[in-house]
Amino acid sequence: MTDAPRPIADAVRQRLARRHRAEGRFRMFGVGAIVLAIAFLAVLIGSIIAQSTGAFTTYTLTLPITIEREVADPRGDMSEASLRRGSYNQLIQRALQAELPAASSRTELRDLFSLYSGLNAAPVMRRVVADPSLIGQEISVSMPVNHEIDLYLKGITVREDRQPGEGAITMDADGDEVRLTGEMPVFARFVSRIRAQAEDERQEALSRAARAQAQAGMAESRDAREAALAAERRAFADAERFETIIDPETSILLGARTASLLIGVNGGVISVSAVSPDGRTAQGSVLLPLESDAASSDWTEWVIETPPAARRVGDLQAIYARTLEERGLIDQRFNTRLFLNADSREPELAGVMGAFIGSILTMLVTMLLAVPIGVGTAIYLEEFAPKTRLTGFIEVNINNLAAVPSIVFGLLGLAVFINAFGLPRSAPLVGGMVLALMTLPTVIISSRAALRAVPPSIREAALGVGASKTQAVFQHVLPLAMPGILTGSIIGLAQALGETAPLLMIGMVAFVADAPSLGLAGLTQPSTVMPVQVFLWSGASERAFEMRTAAAILVLLTLMILFNAVAIYLRRRFERRW
Amino acid sequence: MAEDANVKAGTVYHPAEGNRKVKVAASGVDVFYADKQALHDVSVEIGDRAVTAFIGPSGCGKSTFLRCINRMNDTIDTARVSGSIRIDGEEINDRSVDPVLLRARVGMVFQKPNPFPKSIFDNVAYGPRIHGLAVSKDELDSIVETSLKKAGLWDEVADRLDQPGNSLSGGQQQRLVIARAIAVNPEVILMDEPCSALDPIATARIEELIDELRENYCLIIVTHSMAQAARVSQMTAFFHLGHLVEFGPTEEIFTNPRDRRTQDYITGRFG
Amino acid sequence: MQLSLFTALALLVLTATGFLAGRTRALAIGAREEGRLHSLPNYHGYFVALWTGLPAFALLALYAVTGTMVVNTLALGELSRASEPLQQRYEAILATDEDHRAATASVERLEAEIRMLRAEADAIIASEGPHSEALAPLRARQEERLFDQDDARFVITSREAAIAGIVLEAADADVADARARAGFEYRRLPPEQRELFVADARALAFADTLASRDTPELRAAAEAFVPRQQALAWGVSLAALALAAGGLAFGRSRVTRQFRARNRVEWMVSAALMLASAIAILTTLGIVLSLLFESLRFFASIDWRVQDFLFGTQWSPQTAIRPGQIGQSGSFGAVPLFAGTGLIMLIAMLVAAPVGLFAAIYLSEYADSRFRAWAKPVLEILAGVPTVVYGFFALLTVGPLLRDFALFLGYEDAVTQSALAAGLVMGVMIIPFVSSLSDDVINAVPQSLRDGAYAMGATKSETIRHVVFPAALPGIVGALLLAISRAIGETMIVVMAAGQAANLTANPLESVTTITVQIVMLLTGDQEFNSPKTLSAFALGLVLFVLTLILNIIALRVVQRYREKYD
Repeated sequence: MTDAPRPIADAVRQRLARRHRAEGRFRMFGVGAIVLAIAFLAVLIGSIIAQSTGAFTTYTLTLPITIEREVADPRGDMSEASLRRGSYNQLIQRALQAELPAASSRTELRDLFSLYSGLNAAPVMRRVVADPSLIGQEISVSMPVNHEIDLYLKGITVREDRQPGEGAITMDADGDEVRLTGEMPVFARFVSRIRAQAEDERQEALSRAARAQAQAGMAESRDAREAALAAERRAFADAERFETIIDPETSILLGARTASLLIGVNGGVISVSAVSPDGRTAQGSVLLPLESDAASSDWTEWVIETPPAARRVGDLQAIYARTLEERGLIDQRFNTRLFLNADSREPELAGVMGAFIGSILTMLVTMLLAVPIGVGTAIYLEEFAPKTRLTGFIEVNINNLAAVPSIVFGLLGLAVFINAFGLPRSAPLVGGMVLALMTLPTVIISSRAALRAVPPSIREAALGVGASKTQAVFQHVLPLAMPGILTGSIIGLAQALGETAPLLMIGMVAFVADAPSLGLAGLTQPSTVMPVQVFLWSGASERAFEMRTAAAILVLLTLMILFNAVAIYLRRRFERRW
Repeated sequence: MAEDANVKAGTVYHPAEGNRKVKVAASGVDVFYADKQALHDVSVEIGDRAVTAFIGPSGCGKSTFLRCINRMNDTIDTARVSGSIRIDGEEINDRSVDPVLLRARVGMVFQKPNPFPKSIFDNVAYGPRIHGLAVSKDELDSIVETSLKKAGLWDEVADRLDQPGNSLSGGQQQRLVIARAIAVNPEVILMDEPCSALDPIATARIEELIDELRENYCLIIVTHSMAQAARVSQMTAFFHLGHLVEFGPTEEIFTNPRDRRTQDYITGRFG
Repeated sequence: MQLSLFTALALLVLTATGFLAGRTRALAIGAREEGRLHSLPNYHGYFVALWTGLPAFALLALYAVTGTMVVNTLALGELSRASEPLQQRYEAILATDEDHRAATASVERLEAEIRMLRAEADAIIASEGPHSEALAPLRARQEERLFDQDDARFVITSREAAIAGIVLEAADADVADARARAGFEYRRLPPEQRELFVADARALAFADTLASRDTPELRAAAEAFVPRQQALAWGVSLAALALAAGGLAFGRSRVTRQFRARNRVEWMVSAALMLASAIAILTTLGIVLSLLFESLRFFASIDWRVQDFLFGTQWSPQTAIRPGQIGQSGSFGAVPLFAGTGLIMLIAMLVAAPVGLFAAIYLSEYADSRFRAWAKPVLEILAGVPTVVYGFFALLTVGPLLRDFALFLGYEDAVTQSALAAGLVMGVMIIPFVSSLSDDVINAVPQSLRDGAYAMGATKSETIRHVVFPAALPGIVGALLLAISRAIGETMIVVMAAGQAANLTANPLESVTTITVQIVMLLTGDQEFNSPKTLSAFALGLVLFVLTLILNIIALRVVQRYREKYD
C-alpha cells in the first residue's frame, strides 16, 4: 500500500457503473427472448385448449323409438335390401312428435325436426339390419342434437337469462294472440334492460354515423363518397329505430333486431311481441300451448338477449330444446363421436377416427420405406462407401434435400407417383411414399451421427478377430448405434405425422366420410390424415367446427408428444458416451 | 526446525530478497471444482517487479491457483474458492470487489494464443477501449504503439495494423496477446504456460520479453518447463497434488530443494 | 388381392425353406467332406433364400405396380373391339351429316383467321410494344372469332351426341350386346371421364369400393374386367411360385465346400445398401426433372414468355384463357407472389432473428445447466408443433387480434388474413430453428477467446458482443439463411392466414399471397392436369426449389467453413 494505486483503477472505476447497467440491459434482452418464446408457446397451447373445451361434450337427444314394420320394411319381406330401404328418419320424427304433440304446423314441425340431423337415421338402420327382431319393438336411440342447438344449450353462441317472474299475471287469449297483464309492472326489469341496451346501440350507431360522415369528407372518389354517405344514412336510421325503444311514451316492439322475451307459464310458452312502456302489460302469441288461461304468479321471465337476427337458433327451436332438456330427453354427455366417428358434414357427427386411421396407414408406409432405406444409406455412406467425388456429392445432396420445402415433395409425388405411375390419388400409400422421401434425409443424417458415435475401436476389434466388414458392421457397430438410429427415426416420423402441405398436393384433402379399413386394402382407399383434417375443419364455416378443430389439434399434439416422449425415453435409456 | 516448518503446507513463504515489496499475498486458499478439492490451503507472498514461476506436474493446481489471482475461476460454474488473497493489501475475494476492475489490474496471458477475431490494432486497443483509458484517437494510437513496442512486436506489424490478429504466426500472436494485456497497464501479469504452444525460437523471444517486463510488473508464470523457470524467474513455487510444497528463490529451489518431492520432481523422477 | 396375398405367404414359406435347404446341405457337406467350408452354413442358407425369394418377389412387385394397368388395357381393348360395328355405324352417319360437316369446316376457317390475327398482333407488338393502340381492334375481332368458334364447336358436339344417341337406340332395338354399347360409350367419353368409367367398372367388378353409378353398360364392362384380372393374377402367382422353386433348386445346387457363399451374400447386401443411397439422388433427380418438365410445358403454353412470368405484375391464373388469345399471358405475372413471400419472410425474420439469437445467447452464455435443461425442451416443443396448428392459431387468434387492434388504431381496412398475422406466427415457428442453430454455432466458439476477453476485464455482455458474436458471425449468417429458406418454403401458415389475393403491396396489414399458397390453390380442388393454370404451379415450385436450393447451398457452405475454422 505504499505505492499510490496506478491511475488505471480510477479510470476503470469511473465507467464501471455504466458498463454494469449495459450488462444488465443485455441480460434482460436474453431473458426477454426466452420469456417471449415460452409465452408464445403458452398462449398457443392455452388458446387451443380454451377453444376446444366446448367440443368434448355434446348435448344428446335420447328417444324411445318404435320400429314400425311398415316403415322399416317397405317391401314386407324382411330381406336386407328391404330393411335398407326403410325410412328410419320417419320413425325418429314420429317419436319426437309424440314427445311434443303441440308441434303440428309445417313451420313448427320443421323447427322440431331441425333439432337433429337426418344422418342419425343411418345408425338406427344398421341396428335393425343387424338384428331384424327389433322390428315392432321399442328401442332407445341416442343422437347428438344439431350443432347450433348444442352451442345454444352450452350458452356459447346465445346470451340468455331465465328468471322466475315476480307477481301474478293474467292472460286474455284471443286465438293465438294473448294479452298479458301484471298486477304490478312485472315487465319493468325487462323494459329497463332493453332500454339500456338500446341506448348503447344508439350511441354506437351515432358514432358509426359520425365516422361515416368523416369518411365522406375525406373520400377521394365520387363512388367512395356515395358509399360513405349511404353508410351514414343507414347508421342514422338505426339510431332512430333505437330511439323509439328508448322513448318512455311509446310501447316497445320486439323484433328480429331486439332481444326476445318469452314467458313460460302454465306449462306453455308465450312469445312477447310488444311491451307497454310502463312494463305492466304485454302483447304476445302462444308458441307452446298453455294448459290453462288461469292467472298465475308462478311464471318464468325468459330473455334471449341475442336478437334473432344475430343467432341461428329461433325462439321456437330454443323452446323445444329447453322443453326436451327439462324432461330429461336432452342431456350433456361426453362426446365419444369426436373420437369414434369419421368425418361428416354435420359438426355434431364429425370425428377424427377416419383421419386417425389414415395417419396410421400413412405412417406405416413412411416407416417401412424411410427407416430401412435411410439406415441402409447411412450404413453405406458411413461404413462402406469410398470417399470419392460421388459420395461427396451424395452427402451434399442429402443435406440439401433436408432443407427442401416440404411442398416440393408434394409436387414430386403428384408428378411422379400419381401422373407418371398412375397410383391412386388421396391414398395413404402415396402419402406415405411422399412423406418417406421427405423424412429420408432426417433419418440418414441422424443414423450417420449415431454410427459415427460408435468408436472405431469396436470395428477394429471385430475386424481383428477375422470378421468380414459386413459382419463387423451388422453384428457389432449397428447394434451399438441402434438407440441413436431409433431416436432419429422416431423424430423424423413425428415430423412426418404433423406434415400437411405435401399431402394437399396428392389429393389427401378430399372429404372422406368413411374411415379407410385398417389393412392392406386401406392403403389405396381415399383417406385423409390428422393434420389435413385439422386444415379441412379450420376452413369450415360452422362455429361448431372451430372447437372441433381445436380438439383435433389436441389429439394430434398428444400423438406428437407421445412420439417425442418415446424418442426422449430411448435416448435417456440407452444413451452411452464413449 | 525451520526446514520442517517450510515443508508443512500452510506455511507462509516470504519473498526471499527482503528489499522486494509484497504484491500478492495469499493465505489459506482452498479451491473446489464441484466436490473435488483442487487446491489445499495455499499461502504465499509474491513480490513486486519480479518473475515468480509456479512449477509442478500436471494437475498439481498451479494453474488453478493462478486463475484465483484474477478470479477467472468465477467464470466456471462449479468452482468454489475460499481463503484470502490480497493485492497491495486489498482483499480480492471480497464481495465488494468487482472482478471487472480486478482483471483490469491483473492481466493474463494463456497457454494458446487467443487473439480476438479483430485487427491487430483493435486487439491491442481492446482493453483501453472498454475501460475508457484513452480520451482521444491519438492517445489510443500511442497506447497501442507503446504496448506493441514493449511486447517487441511493433517492428513486425507496424505496417499492417489493420490485418486480422490471427493472420500472425503463433509466436507473434502470443506477443500480440501480451501487448494486449499490457495495454491497460496492469499491476500484475499472469501467464499460464505462455510458451507451451510455441517453437524454441518464439519461446526464446517470449522469455526475453518476460525478462524485460520484470522491470515494471509483477509477473507470475506457470510453466511446465523447469529450464524455463530457471531461466526467467527469480522466485519459484513448487506445487504437488494441490499443495504448495516449497517456495523460495529459484536458485535455491533448483540447487538445494528442501523437500524430497521437489527434489524428485527436479531430478525427473516424476512429472 | 387375396390371391397375391396368399402367393406372397407361400413365397415367404418357400424362402424360409430355401434358407433351411441351403443350410442343411452346407452342414451335410461339412460333415461329409474333408476340410472346412469356405462360409458358415448360415451364409449358404441366406444365399439359397435370396435366390428363392428375390426374383419371385420382384415379379410380384412388378405385378402390383403394373397389374391394374395391364388388365385395364386388355379389358378396354376387348370392349373397343366389341364396339367396332357401332363405331362404324356412327362414323358412317357422321360422314353424311351436313350440319356436322359445315360446323367442322367453319371451325377450321375460324382457326385460320385467328392465327392470322395473332400473327398480325405479334407483328404490332414487335414493332410498337405490347401497349399499342392498334391492338384493341385486333383483340375485339379475335374475341368475336373465338365466340363463333365456340358456337361451331357446340354444334359439332351436339350433333355427335345426337348421332351417338341414334346409334345406341338402334343398337338397343337389335339387342346388340351391352358390351358393345359399353365400348362405344367409353370411346366417346372425354379423357377425364374415362378414368371414372374405368373406376366404376372396376368397382362393380371387384366390389372393393362403391361405384358412383350402376348401368347395364358398366355391368357389361365389369364382366370384361373379371376374367382378365383372374387370369393375370393366377398366371403371375404360378409364375412367381415356379420362379421361387427354380431359384431354390439352382441356389441349392451351387452349395459346395469351396463355394464363397458369404462373399456372394455380402455383395448382395452392399448392392442393396448402394441402391438405398441411390434413392436420395433419385429423389433430387425426380424433383428437378419433374419440376423442369412440367415448367417447360407451362412455358410452352404461354408461348415461352418466361419474362412475363418472372417479371409480370398481374397474377390471375383462374381466368380461363383460350389457346391463341392475344395478350392474356400477362395473367401469369408472379411478381406479386414473390413480393408477398418476401414481405412475410421479412416479418417472420424480424421476429425470429432477434428473439432466436438472444434466446441462444442467453441459453449458451448466461443460463445455468438446470435452466437449460428445461428451457431447451420447451423451445423444441415450439419446433415440434405441426405447422397446421400454427396456421389455425394465426387464423383464429392472432389474425382477429391484429385486425381489432388495427381497427382500434383507426385503420379501417384491416382484414383478418394479413401478411402481419402470417409473418408474426411464422416468426414464432422459426424461433427455435434460429436459436438451436445459433446455439450450436455459439458453442463452437472456443472458450479461450472468452477467457481472453474476461481476463482483459470485459464484462460478460462485452465479451459476447465484441468477441463471441463476431467470431460466430459467419455461422449465424448461415443459420439465418437456412431460416429464411425455411420461411420461404413454409406453406400451411400462409395458406391459412395470409390470404389468396395477389396484392402487390408493402402494407403488412393487407392480405398478400405467396408462392406456396398459390401452389396449393392451383393444385387442390378440381383440376385438369394439362391446363396452364395447373402447370403454372410447377413453374412456381421450380422457382421455390431453386431459391431455397441457392440459400441452402450458401448457408451450408458458410457454416461448414466456419466449423473448419474452429475444429
